[in-house]
Order: sequence, then C-alpha cells, then structure tokens
Amino acid sequence: MGFPHKPHPKETVVLSQYFGDQEARTYKGWVKRGGYEALAQALKMAPAAVTEVVKESGLRGRGGAGFPTGLKWSFMPKEKKKPHYVCVNADESEPGTFKDREIMRWTPHALLEGTAIAAHAIQADVAYIYVRGEFTEPWTILEKALTEANAAGVFGTIKLYLHRGAGAYICGEETALMNSIEGKRGNPRIKPPFPAAAGLFGMPTTINNVETLAAVPHILTRGAAWYKGLCLSNPKSTGTKLFSVCGHVQRPGNYEVTLGFPLKDLLYELSGGMPAGRTLKACIPGGSSVPILNREESEACLLDYEGCVAAGTMLGSGGVIVFDDSADMVYQIMRLARFYAHESCAQCTQCREGTAWTTKILERILAGQGKTQDLDLLLDLAENMTGKTICVLSDSCAAPVVSGIKKFRNEFEDYLAGKRKPVMVA
Amino acid sequence: MTVTEEYQAVFTGKVLEQLQEILARYPSKQAALLPALWLVQRERGWISDRNMAEVGEVLGVTPAYVKGVVTFYTMYHQHPVGKNFVQVCTTSPCNICGAEGVVKALLEQTGAKDPGATSPDGKWTIVEVECLGACGFATPILVNDDFIENVTPEKVAEIVRKYR
Amino acid sequence: MADAMINLTIDDVPVSVPPGTLVIEAAKQAGVLVPHYCYHPGLPVAGVCRMCLVEVEKAPKLQIACATPVAEGMVVKTQTPQAKDARQGVLELLLINHPLDCPICDQAGECELQDFVFQEGRPGTRYADYAKRFNPVEDFGPDVLYVPNRCILCTRCVRFMEDVAQEPVLNVSERGDRAFIGIHPEARLDHPWAGNVVDLCPVGSLLSKDFLHKARAWELDKTASICTGCSQGCNVTLDTRDEVVVRVRPRPNLEVNRYFICDHGRMNYRWMNRGDRVDAPLVRRDGALHATDWDEAFARVLTILRGASGKAVALVSPGASSEALSLARRLFSGFDWTGAFQVVMGEEAPLAGVPNLALRAERAPNATGAEQLGYSRDYAAALTAAESAAVVLVLDDPDCAVRTSGALIYAGAVLGPDAPCRAAEVVLPLANVAEEDGTFVNRDGRVQRYFQAKPAPGMARPAAWVLGELTAALGVAEVS
Repeated sequence: MGFPHKPHPKETVVLSQYFGDQEARTYKGWVKRGGYEALAQALKMAPAAVTEVVKESGLRGRGGAGFPTGLKWSFMPKEKKKPHYVCVNADESEPGTFKDREIMRWTPHALLEGTAIAAHAIQADVAYIYVRGEFTEPWTILEKALTEANAAGVFGTIKLYLHRGAGAYICGEETALMNSIEGKRGNPRIKPPFPAAAGLFGMPTTINNVETLAAVPHILTRGAAWYKGLCLSNPKSTGTKLFSVCGHVQRPGNYEVTLGFPLKDLLYELSGGMPAGRTLKACIPGGSSVPILNREESEACLLDYEGCVAAGTMLGSGGVIVFDDSADMVYQIMRLARFYAHESCAQCTQCREGTAWTTKILERILAGQGKTQDLDLLLDLAENMTGKTICVLSDSCAAPVVSGIKKFRNEFEDYLAGKRKPVMVA
Repeated sequence: MTVTEEYQAVFTGKVLEQLQEILARYPSKQAALLPALWLVQRERGWISDRNMAEVGEVLGVTPAYVKGVVTFYTMYHQHPVGKNFVQVCTTSPCNICGAEGVVKALLEQTGAKDPGATSPDGKWTIVEVECLGACGFATPILVNDDFIENVTPEKVAEIVRKYR
Repeated sequence: MADAMINLTIDDVPVSVPPGTLVIEAAKQAGVLVPHYCYHPGLPVAGVCRMCLVEVEKAPKLQIACATPVAEGMVVKTQTPQAKDARQGVLELLLINHPLDCPICDQAGECELQDFVFQEGRPGTRYADYAKRFNPVEDFGPDVLYVPNRCILCTRCVRFMEDVAQEPVLNVSERGDRAFIGIHPEARLDHPWAGNVVDLCPVGSLLSKDFLHKARAWELDKTASICTGCSQGCNVTLDTRDEVVVRVRPRPNLEVNRYFICDHGRMNYRWMNRGDRVDAPLVRRDGALHATDWDEAFARVLTILRGASGKAVALVSPGASSEALSLARRLFSGFDWTGAFQVVMGEEAPLAGVPNLALRAERAPNATGAEQLGYSRDYAAALTAAESAAVVLVLDDPDCAVRTSGALIYAGAVLGPDAPCRAAEVVLPLANVAEEDGTFVNRDGRVQRYFQAKPAPGMARPAAWVLGELTAALGVAEVS
C-alpha cells in the first residue's frame, strides 16, 4: 500500500508532496503541514477575488477537457438568486488513470480544502464530492477527514457531503454525474443549458476534478504568479500535473511534473523504461479515450495541452498507458472497445449500437474470422460514432480504433491474412 | 395454513435513522436513491424487486423507476452473490499485466465455475469488471469492500485462504 | 407581433417562426420533414436517437434539429452529404438488431423505421454473420405487449408515462446494447391513458393486444371522428377494414386532446359494429311490428303527428348529433314540448401532464349540445310527462323505460327484443356515429364535426336525414 516510489529528481512535487505520509491524512497533521491556511485566506477574500487569482494562475481542468478553471468559476451568476452548488468529480474511471485516487488516499484534506475554496468563490453553500463506488479505501479516508475537519469547524457555513457512485464510468461526464447525484440513471444531458446556468437540481453549478481542486490551495498560498511560472513549454499550460503511468513499465505509478515535460523522460527515466529486453511500441498519454501514439510520436511528445494536440493526441486525464513490443495491439484495442461498449449509457444510437458492433468486429478479427473489408468497416463506423452524440463516450471508443488501425495496421492485417494465430474463440 | 414469506422492511430502526440523516443532505428525496440502495445492499447483500419497491415507497418514486436506476449501476447486485464478492479489473492496462491469469486462478481456487457464477459452497462469486482505477497497481481486485493491489496469480492462494 | 419573429432558411426556404421554436418544427413550415424517432411534439425533448442531425451553418458539428432552437439568420441544411451520411449511419445501427419480421408486424405500413429507411435509403447490411439480439415478448399491461427485439430505445413510451401520465411505470433498464424498456414485476401498464404508448412507439415494439394481427395498416380506411366515450370530445380517427371499425386512434388537436386519447375511448368502438341492428323501418299492424319501407314509415309518423296535439315528449340520447337533436325538436314545434336526456356517469380519469384533459365522468359526447338545444337533464320528469303525452319520441335510447298513453315513435340503431320501446307505433332505423356525418358540442362548448366511416346496414339512415325528411314534409318552421 502507499505511493510506491520516492520522488524522482525531475519531478516537481506539489500535490504529491505528502503521498505516503500517513500523518498528512489527519486534520492535525494537515494543519501542521500548512493545511487550511489557504481556506482561511480565501474566506477573508471576496468570492470574485478568489476566482481572479485562480484565473490568473492559468490552472486548467485536470479531468480531461482542460477548460480554464477560473474562467469556469466566473461563468457562475455574480448575483446569487438561487442555491449554487459545487460538484467534485471524484469518479475517476478513465482506464489508465489513478491520480485522483492517490490524492484522496494521502491528502484528503487537500481536496476538502480546495472544494471549500471553490464553494466560497462561486457562492455555494453545499458541495457534493462524487466518489466512484469502487473507491472503498479513498471513501473511508475522505469520510474520516471530513468528520475531523467538520469537528474543527474549518468550513464555516459551507457544507461538504460525500456521495458514492455505484459502478458507471459515464458518471465521470459532468452532467451524468449530476443526474447520478439526483438519484437518476447516469445519463449525460443535452447541453445547453450548461451547468453554470442549470446544473445540479437545476441550479447554477460548478464541477471540478479532484486534482484541479487540490491545486487551488497551493495557488492561493503561493500566489498565481508562482503557479503560472511552473511552465516548460506553452504559456497556456501552467502548473504541475500528475501522470499515472501504467502498463509495460518498470515502475508504474504517479509522477508529478511541470506541464510541458517530455513524455520520453516520463517513460524512460521516471518510470524506469520498459521491462528488460523490451522496447516501446505504443503509448496512450491521456487515458484510454485519446488517440494512441506510436514510439516515434511518443518520444517527441511534450506533456501539456498543446503539445499533445501537436502530437496528434490529447493530454486528457494524464493516464499514460504503455505498451511494449510484446503487446497485441488488436487485442488491447478490442479490450478498450469492450470497455466502452460495457459503459455506454444506451441513450444515443451511435454509441449504444456502435460500441457493441465495433467490439464484435474486433473479436471476430481476433478469432481469425475477420473479413478483408472489416478495417474499412471499423473506420467507417468510427466516423459515424465521432462528433454525433450527446457526450464523447462514443468518440472515445472510436479514437483508439482509428489511431490503432492507422498506426498498427499490419497487426490487424496479420490476423486477417491468417499470419497470426487466433487468440479468441468466435 | 399457508406459509407466505413475510417481507421484512429494510428501512426500520437504525437503518431508517441513517436514511433520515442522508435525506437531510439533499434538496430532493430522490437524490437519496443511490445511498438508500447502498444501505439495502449492505443490509441484505443484494437488492430484490421487493426491496426496490420499498425504496421507491420510502423515496416517493415508482418501483419501475428504482429498477431502471438499479440496472444502470453495475455495483448493485440484482441477485444474491457469494459471501465474498470479488471484482477483478480486466481492462486494457491490467490486461497487459496479466489480469486474465488472476481471474483464472481465482476461479480455479474458489471453485466458482465461470465469472459471475457463485461457487457451490456459496462463498465466492468472481466477476470481471472494467477499470477499477488503480492501473498502476495491476492487477487490483476488490474483495467485498477490501481493495487489494498488485494481485498476481501466485498471490491468489493466500487471498483465498484469508477470506475463506 | 411580426417583429418578434425569427427569420431563418431551411433548405433554402425562408421561414419566420416565434422565438424558441425548434428547428425540427420550423422545418415543417418549410415543407421539410426531418427524419426523427425520439422527438415527439407531445413529449419533452430527449435528443437521443440522433436521427435528426442537420447541418447548421457556422456550427462546428452537425446539430440535432429536435433540440436546437431557431436563431435569427440561421441557415439550416438537411440534405448535405454529411447530414445524409449521419442519418444513414443511424439507420444502419438501428437496423442491425432489428428483426426483418415486417410481414407479421402490426406496425408495418405505418412504421417510421420503414418510412425513413425508404426515404433515406441504405441498401444491404454490413452486420452480416452476427446473430441479432433476442429477448422474449413481454406482457406489459391489459392492452400492451412489448416486443423488445423491435425496440429502438427512443424512450417515447418512458417519457409519456413519466412526464405526461406522471406515473413512471416504464423504465430504461440496463446499459449499452443490453438496454431495453423495463417494468417492475409488481407493476402493470394499466394507467387509464397507457394505450397511447402504442401510438407513440415509432416501430412495432409496443403493440395493442386488441389490434394484434387484426389488419394490415394499408388495408385500413381512416376517417376523422370524435370520440363518443365522454364529454371531452377527443379528436379520433376511426380505422375501418372492410366496413368494420377495427381501431380508434387519437387525431392531434392541441386545444382538446393534444396527441392522446384514453383507453376507455380507444376501446369504445365494438358497439359500432353490432350485427343485431334495426335495419328496416317497422310499423305496428295488428298489434305487432312489421318491416316496411321508408314511405310507409314516414306516412305513419306524419299521420300520428298531424293527428295529435297538446303534450309531446322527446327522450333523447346525448350521443345523438346536434343536427338530429335540433331537428327532433323542430318536429314538435306545434306541441307543448318537453325534451330530456340522461347521461351515464363514470369515474373521471385525468391525464396529469395535460391541463384540461381527462376521461370525463360524463360519458356522453353531446350533452352540452343537447343542453344548448333546450333539452333538460331532468329525465325523470320527462318520463313522467311522457305517460300522459300525446306523442313521445325516443331518439336512440334503446333501453329507455318509457311508458305512455300516447303514440310512441322510436328512432334508433338498435332495439332489444324486450326493450320497452318495442311498444312503439313506428320504429325508424338509424345509422350510428360511425355511419353518419354530424357534430358534437364538447363540454367546453367546442363544436366539432365527425364524418362517416362506413355505410349503415340495410335501410338504416342518419337521424338527421330521417328527421329532416319528416320536418320537410310537415313544413314546420325553425325553432327560434
């Protein structure tokens, strides 16, 4: 148990400073480490002033979309006419991503403090922290931390509640999460209206990711300029980010680096490279929903919002999935498609039927029964599944399929030509 | 005399008090639905159609509505499960680290025939689940509420011994 | 308020619509029907079938016409290659698991899946070699069957029960391609308005047991009519096959019943097909009723009317047309006239989500019309008056417990063997509501026309024709 590695010299340790530190989990321990100073400071400031600091820092959403956090807060009505809510997206379920889990396990108070600051900034009285159902350990730890912090009365009139999910990836989509809190099926909603106008319970709502909110106290105590200065490449991407590295690496785990950090260094140095005798084949840098990079692209990619786009992918949630030369890309892409087919909420036709059909075609190929036209069919289906639905789950299923066929076409063709032994039974 | 099984309400006494406490957190009764279902599952081990009707009555929604919600979320059991309910992550990142071997070892050593089936002694139900959100600790499994990281086929025997 | 209108073009046709109008509705004004499944003007927008994707100039992606409000200067194109591809893509996905059992599907011929595939086109399938999804047929309620294999998850039925009937007895169960429309095992789809889910279903997934395998849609003749089930006056279509009414469906009227009718009204048609009709005029001769022709029947009535004076009583059905009721009164303009009707009462059953729409307690379509024409609700008093009246007319009220020392004339569609009206001097065979044109006045005073759906049997004629002939022969003046 615990954060598995000591920080690497190339890491910029901000959020992860106390990972592995049992005492930091307690209220007293957190206060001893400077905790809740930022909240006290924020509560003395006008809400708009807090938003301004966050805006100035350049902090962008760490859940996947990368929307500027301060700007999002500023969309809330200035004049409060009805209840405002904060929702915390702790439904971390994007394959390859396990950073929020570590934040909640080791520094629960960082999340609670950031949440309370956000609530103050947007004039919310209540914040709901939506924790995915499978996160039993983070839940227990957060619950204990919340009880302690409430006993200490640090949140003033702001109320924080934990809300437990029950097994649905799609609840990480912001409006699906709100429906889920409201006691509904976790179906994404049509937008507009956007949450700042009509979100949770139809009221103005701001929703932020765990990592985003955990960064907020640091920005308040150390200043927007300091955070903005944490930047290795593009001024639009500031601060540190946790990257969860998993798959074929020597030291899987979370690594915190300044945005703009080379993916190459993350793979070969921080996480120790591939297992002995293996070489890098492919990497998905932003969670399973973003396009796959091949070795050359991975080695040239800079880890910030713009750098990833330049490399033909997205920063996403920062879940880095590494495949070495032993990986069967066709099989892995099938696993990802199966994931999306399993998680589709069933609302939109393209997603409900398209994710399942995509999986069936990939399974057929892996069973040695693929047809020559199957790759074109997969690409055509992917096209039909992109940009046409309420949320992006359907697009997310298409992304690895399209990039996988583009970059590893020979592996697919080997199955189709019978050059590879079938690994599945039809 | 006919013997009919009398339905035992879940929301009485302490459990009802817990629900009341939860209800106070939300502006609508319906919002307590997921927490209420968790309470039912904790008390009964699974959520029956009768339980759903009771939850509906308590929260002012129809039984069909509750059923629609229950079937959306994969963690709610619609059927009784073994004493130890084991969820094994088999999504891509864990898959490349050998998750399928963990499933196989668990099935072999618990006597559960297939994923989803309960072992003849009623003690084990093993299911494959999609991403558990601990990809760096492949393969993670959940035994009931216990989250266990870095499980390999070799470690399965010890885990099975511990929970048996 | 022309200046408050929004101007846009749809497929190059300029239209002006009020702000807030959805593109899919504005398109109708341009003569463009954007294909759609989940959208229905009587239900909240869901935006899930993604069938109505259209191109909106300046928007980065295709937009769904059902959830996009119009904007000034908007340029909408429904026939661009991208929009057509997207719709064909949806159709292909909807069809991969849809059985090709159209030949035995009740919906065939009026199926929106058939229609839009026909319109948009998609030759062949690429979903070869896979078994289609299969789930058994489920019995949802007294009149509704669910065929999950044909379901396209548009959720119209779920939204109807949730938002319109406000009794969410249906749900979407499970997720992904395993999803289906579910019901709780302890619940039934037996809401008094539940039958509407069958009409709303764009495919043959929700079926009426009453109509099951009864007719092919293309064999049906459709006639605009008014429901006779109560005083609401819901607009309906009578579907007839070989001159038999086989189905009643709602006809949209936003002011009266929107898109819906209740199950009571929906099932209230079998009597229109009754075989035991009075199909020839009858006259009393030697103490018994004998069939005759119209000439003799009319002559007998005219003799009675010309020879009588003083008190006349009309006991009428509140299901008779206003035309008939008016003429029936005019017939007695020289008499000391009393007219009355009685209404069968039942339980009121509102459709919660629609204001002023209910199955009304008053189970008659034209009570208001009868009242407006001077007929009284004091039926008992009229029955008493009938005892000593010179002439009594019973209009289409076959069970009327009339007793009179005067001459009794019965005009109606049916007459049971033991009915008191068997004592009549003359029996005039009438067409029923499905067999004539006429008007009813609903409870809100709305005058609504209905039309003939099938011929009347034998010599039966519409009441308005029969009474019209008689008043013409009498030369009586109009009642003021």
